[in-house]
Amino acid sequence: MKADPSIYIFGEGAHMKVHFDAPYIEKEFPDRVVTLPISEDGNTNFGVGTSLAGVKPIIDVISSDFLFRTMDSICNTAVKLNFMSEQIGKPKTIVIKSEFLFGGPTSGQRLESQFARIPGLNVAVPSNPRDAQGLMNSALRRNGVTLLFEDRMISDKDTKESDMIKDVAEDIPFGKAMLRRKGNSLTVVSYAITLKEVESEIEANGFDCDLLDLRSLYPLDYHAISESVSATGKLLIVEPDVVFEGVGAEIGAYIAECCPSSLKKPIKRLGAPRSVIPVSLDMHKYMLPSRTEISDTIRKMMS
Amino acid sequence: MLTVRLVEDRLQELCFLGEAGDLHFNKGQEAISIGTCAVLNEEDYIVTHHRTIAHSIAKGVPLRPLISELLGKATGINGGVAGEMHFTYPDVRYMFTFQLVGTCLPVAAGLAWAVKNFLKESNIVACFFGDAATSNAQVHEGLSIASVRKAPLLLICENNGVAGNIKKEFYLPTKTVAERAAAYGIGSSTIDGNNLQLVMEAAARASEYVRENSKPYLLEMETTRLSWHKQGMPDARSKEELAKLAERDPLLREETRLGISVEKKREFANEINVEIEDAIVAARAAPYPGLKAVN
Repeated sequence: MKADPSIYIFGEGAHMKVHFDAPYIEKEFPDRVVTLPISEDGNTNFGVGTSLAGVKPIIDVISSDFLFRTMDSICNTAVKLNFMSEQIGKPKTIVIKSEFLFGGPTSGQRLESQFARIPGLNVAVPSNPRDAQGLMNSALRRNGVTLLFEDRMISDKDTKESDMIKDVAEDIPFGKAMLRRKGNSLTVVSYAITLKEVESEIEANGFDCDLLDLRSLYPLDYHAISESVSATGKLLIVEPDVVFEGVGAEIGAYIAECCPSSLKKPIKRLGAPRSVIPVSLDMHKYMLPSRTEISDTIRKMMS
Repeated sequence: MLTVRLVEDRLQELCFLGEAGDLHFNKGQEAISIGTCAVLNEEDYIVTHHRTIAHSIAKGVPLRPLISELLGKATGINGGVAGEMHFTYPDVRYMFTFQLVGTCLPVAAGLAWAVKNFLKESNIVACFFGDAATSNAQVHEGLSIASVRKAPLLLICENNGVAGNIKKEFYLPTKTVAERAAAYGIGSSTIDGNNLQLVMEAAARASEYVRENSKPYLLEMETTRLSWHKQGMPDARSKEELAKLAERDPLLREETRLGISVEKKREFANEINVEIEDAIVAARAAPYPGLKAVN
């Protein structure tokens, strides 16, 4: 925001102090953090409207569940307005930011795979603060509409030094997965909260795996995935979203089409069940693959 | 108004020939956009609903690339991918059109807010929407934000009393749309939108109010849709009902007021038709756009 005076934040965040950093941003840029009512769809349309005057809006839709309300303003308004504006050489930069945090049936639903299917919409789901900072930086420097998620279920206390926020934001490109572990016997593809879980299991057990963090679901780094699978011959996808018709299905189908002969074992997916998030805190664990399930599956696939 | 009427009549023929899609015409409502745009400053912005042909001509979008766009040709103002309901033409500050009913309002509120607070201009934004759109939450969220955030927004409600083919007793819970604005702390009034003189006077007053007070105002204009909702969807209203509405035709009223003879009108029409034919010939000869990739 210091570097680009056209960046504004719109949403319910600032005054409600829901976000760790929002009050600090507001202190520095009081005129550029604009608190709007609890009208997520209208707020997103409002933010998109400001882009017609040259603003680069970051529209804060606090909880992912409200994205069902904003599907219209994101998929119809933002994406199509940007598409038409591109035709006259005036593309827009629009960022919609939202969060995941399990609470109950309509709190914390994983919707990233749904949105990744919308043509003209980029979807990023970082697994650590450094990537979140770098992807936001890229989203604001590029043309187009980006839906950037923050996974609030990732515990800050486990963050590695190398994954912390940098003094100068990096430009982490979209569609570039990060190879977080190098191995020979299995390719594990994941992102966000499940990436953290998989990484912990691989490190604790010393598994000989490639671990790819997708970082953006669209664009998707097909190249990095196929390159790794060609070397290891085995693919496991661990996703926090519902497995049915999820990003894992897309990756599996792609590998089955492009390089089936490199597979030594069938592709395996782990992820959320097609269920409703329970309200009981103790039951939230059933909505994500457990660490035991992850390590057992890795062991089985490597054998 | 005559240009709009002639362009739409000609396009209707192309719809019947299958050369144009199911276009939405303004027949009977032309005085609203023509009158309002005539009193707005050139630097003021407009955002509209899906019934766009009159508004684009009123704001000064050139006919040739406009008609190409309406026919989906690559030489159109948005390369033929926007059609009648999704185009943008910022050169004349025609900022965007919205097929999805009601969306125009919060987007226009955002634009107006940014014109004031980001661009620091004194220009205003006029947003055109229909009475039927007031059934949609986006209109209400937009009114609420525009009022709270003091957006310099002139809201023009074109009240034609129909939502597609649905009559207003099925969607409008109040006598007027204007009275609903009070709930949002927005000033409003209702006028006869088929009287060009009244439209110009009221729009001039309302736009000055918006400019001076830097806050929204809602001007409801009662009007008559004399065309079908869209081509391909025949009108549910009776012939008698439509004939009665046609007595309020704003074009006829203006012709009578100015005392334009049949010969004089024909002379004007011939001149305009040359330009329309030229635009149609050019559009017909132009290629369709290829399928565009999106990132």
